[in-house]
Amino acid sequence: MKKIKIAVAPGSSCGGCDVALVNLNEKLLDITNYADIVFWPTALDFKIEDLEQVNEIDIGIFVGAIRHKDHVKLAKLLREKSKIIVALGSCACYGGIFSLANLFEKKDLLETVYQKTITTENSNGKMPTESIKMGNIDISLPKLTNWCLPLKNLIDVDIYAPGCPPGERVLEKLYNIIIDFVKNGTVPDKGIALEPLKTLCDICPRKKPEKIVIRKFKRIHEVKLDPELCFLAQGVICLGPISIAGCDANCIKANIPCRGCLGPNQDIHDVAAKFISAIASLVQIDKEKELEEEIVNLIEEIVDPIGTFHRFTFGSGIFNKKQEDVME
Amino acid sequence: MSNRDNENFEPKIVAFLCKWCAYSGADLAGVSRLEYPPNVIPILVPCSGKVDMQFILKAFKEGADGVFIGGCHTPNDCHYISGNYKALKRFTLMRKYLEQLGINSKRIRLEWISATEGVKFAKVMKEFVEEIKKLGPLQTR
Repeated sequence: MKKIKIAVAPGSSCGGCDVALVNLNEKLLDITNYADIVFWPTALDFKIEDLEQVNEIDIGIFVGAIRHKDHVKLAKLLREKSKIIVALGSCACYGGIFSLANLFEKKDLLETVYQKTITTENSNGKMPTESIKMGNIDISLPKLTNWCLPLKNLIDVDIYAPGCPPGERVLEKLYNIIIDFVKNGTVPDKGIALEPLKTLCDICPRKKPEKIVIRKFKRIHEVKLDPELCFLAQGVICLGPISIAGCDANCIKANIPCRGCLGPNQDIHDVAAKFISAIASLVQIDKEKELEEEIVNLIEEIVDPIGTFHRFTFGSGIFNKKQEDVME
Repeated sequence: MSNRDNENFEPKIVAFLCKWCAYSGADLAGVSRLEYPPNVIPILVPCSGKVDMQFILKAFKEGADGVFIGGCHTPNDCHYISGNYKALKRFTLMRKYLEQLGINSKRIRLEWISATEGVKFAKVMKEFVEEIKKLGPLQTR
């Protein structure tokens, strides 16, 4: 049997997804029986030139969002050489936490980071430059893209493996896809590496009351959480109603509400707008007529709708950025 | 769309009107030959509580400059008992979300208009169109 070639390319990523891959443990060793890993800079010392020299890759895995010029180059190169492209992790799939930066212009981001924060001492107002000459050597930094984007805005993606980081169930499915490809040459269908698609609420082990009523929005440090009862019934925001079930409810079992890292269920175009439709209607649902004004004030208490509802998915919301916008 | 510059700007407004009250109100305004600006594109919905907040974003994305939701008067007019309250609650949170997105929350408006209030419908539409004209065309990134 001929060994296949796998490449893992990093974008703007925290490294957690690479750790999740390493966490495959013995299965990773098993994969190396079937496949050569030809590129994986996070794990071994590879350079982009190494990827350029490889003729053809079977499975190209991209980790992280697109944030600068080198990510663009890497992603396009990977697409060119790979038969199957896998977007691994929520950043590659939806933009992830990094894509919350799209709320601000690039200029403002740099100013905040290099000048405005309290802990920054930069009295000369120095800003990072893209290239500098030191003696005879040119040193350059990759230019930031205008927006932080999920992989699909740039190249065609075959398989989405979301999660922050991708959990066991997603990785197992991905593993099966790889093994199936090696042994039978099966090219997988495009789409998400999870099935069947249900919402987290469908598999949630917690008790749900007949009618969920939110009396007051609470943050998790403000309340002693009942480990048996639905979070929404306790007034704690939980993204279970709209998130895909593909995580075995691990956070829920650890008494932490869902933050939606696996992304929205099918047919949802904008997570935050959909979740607003869902959660706002639960507020004082049985006392609407008596408490009209109070209800409005109560809803105003949600401080940060985008950061709460769009935590991992802002880059793929309805107002996501077009491909032409990537570079100036 | 033709007049996108600020001077002769004619806004596009999508209005989601509930079947029982606001849409009938709009009908009455028409039948009574009341004048109101032609910028409004009415969409019939069964209830203001049916309006998913994704519709608003979709409308903005497709080129609307303002979105209007019309429902039955609170507390007791809603045909489905409390659909208008659902709309009110969603609308409150949605305004906050839009502000964060960088869209002025004045671009969406919620009003209760009964089937007999053709005059109110025409008046509100005039006001809303004026308001959006002042704000100018919606520019989304």
